[in-house]
Amino acid sequence: MAEDYEPRIVAFLCKWCSSAGSDLAGVSRMEYPPNVVPIQVMCSGSVSPLYIFSAFNKGADGVLVSGCHPGDCHYIKGNYYARRRLNLVKKLLEYVGLETQRFQMSWVSAAEGTKFTQIIKDFVKELKPLGPQTKLRRNP
Amino acid sequence: MAKIEDLKEEAKKLLREGKVKYIIGYGAGSNGWLAAPLFIKKPEDVDKLVWDPTCVHNLVRFLVDEKRRKARQKQPDKRPVGIMVKGCDSRAVVVLLQEKFIDRSDVYILGVSCEKMGVVDDAKLAKKLAGKKAKRVEVDAQDRFVVTTEDGKIEMAAEELLAERCLECKANFPVIYDLLSGEKTKRPLDKPFGSLEKIESLSAADRSSFWKEQLDRCIRCYACRSACPMCYCDECVVDSINLAVTADTTADEKAQRIHWIQRSAESSENLVYHLVRAIHLAGRCIDCGECERACPLDIPLRFLNKKLEKEAKELFGYEVGFDPALPALISCFRDEDPQDFIR
Repeated sequence: MAEDYEPRIVAFLCKWCSSAGSDLAGVSRMEYPPNVVPIQVMCSGSVSPLYIFSAFNKGADGVLVSGCHPGDCHYIKGNYYARRRLNLVKKLLEYVGLETQRFQMSWVSAAEGTKFTQIIKDFVKELKPLGPQTKLRRNP
Repeated sequence: MAKIEDLKEEAKKLLREGKVKYIIGYGAGSNGWLAAPLFIKKPEDVDKLVWDPTCVHNLVRFLVDEKRRKARQKQPDKRPVGIMVKGCDSRAVVVLLQEKFIDRSDVYILGVSCEKMGVVDDAKLAKKLAGKKAKRVEVDAQDRFVVTTEDGKIEMAAEELLAERCLECKANFPVIYDLLSGEKTKRPLDKPFGSLEKIESLSAADRSSFWKEQLDRCIRCYACRSACPMCYCDECVVDSINLAVTADTTADEKAQRIHWIQRSAESSENLVYHLVRAIHLAGRCIDCGECERACPLDIPLRFLNKKLEKEAKELFGYEVGFDPALPALISCFRDEDPQDFIR
């Protein structure tokens, strides 16, 4: 069972950096696990904590929020707000007993296709031993 | 607890001169020992005001209602509202000012200090009395509680009866006021977040089952939301009223609209609802304990909010409700905010 299990990751990627970074990985034909469902958002700062809770509730095994590096935000400071808010979300999810590895955040620029593939590879590798996420999932 | 003779004098003067619309305070309740919110419009009623450890309510919620009422009136009465606040309640006023929900001129703050005491926890009291009904709860000269029941008086140490949040209170005197009754004294406090340790020391799996067990009971009555002075959004995510239904809206569209959170009292949905509420109160919750008190199923909601208060303190050095000029916790940032969790 454990070997067949493929985790499903929901990735909120900011339009200007991380989404372009994942695109670069795609057009450069880099290989990475197909477990990720990318969702393009305008800015990592626009990711409401509700998106994350809702993704877990609707069956995500892991959630990734990725934005521009600090200082590179298209909207100047969106990623700084995200960093503060999502830090609290991470602590809260840990507090109610969700495994730490299930929620991750990263900075990926439009040029970092390799970094993006590496993050997804690591994420999948970390999620596999945990098994399916049941803590927040509706009707497991 | 502070004496409120000077507060009563001031309240009378304010009402007589018509400087305030009305005064929200505490009066004798109809349910035995517990005080009740009291609205005073005439100066002769001011003597009905009481101030003792049974004044558990956070009256700031009524300021939110007042603002709503004012918004509906064509020619609203612009005079301020007088309000009696404890230390914790005054911090709620600070947060509302910080968020510019109310204006400083909308409110005349009559501060009362708890002076090393605090308010009674009704669950603790019920446990102590084991079925007996309390008639009065008073404080004697040695800062001990004297509970009067049908069978006589019972004396208790302050710590046995005070609410957990009062034992962890950072400032048991109002931080903002137009008039202050009582001294600005603090009770010694060595562990401001001590009550969290019990849950934090559990393993992740145990924490998960703890919260599952607690939140399974939730019946989604939203009493926590109604009692909270900070829950003032016009539109709440759980109400799902944000679909503009026109003549052209198809049944399919209505059915397909985004349900972020369902309204069923299912345990994972309950958890998501309470997580959303907790994160909305991050850096805003002033630990007045109204949600927990209003909860008909005694869910320890305070532990969720207190945890985020602790994280806000530890991660960002942010203390809620002390300075109305500061920006709110998540509407500001610093370059040096921690980012060790980010890859």
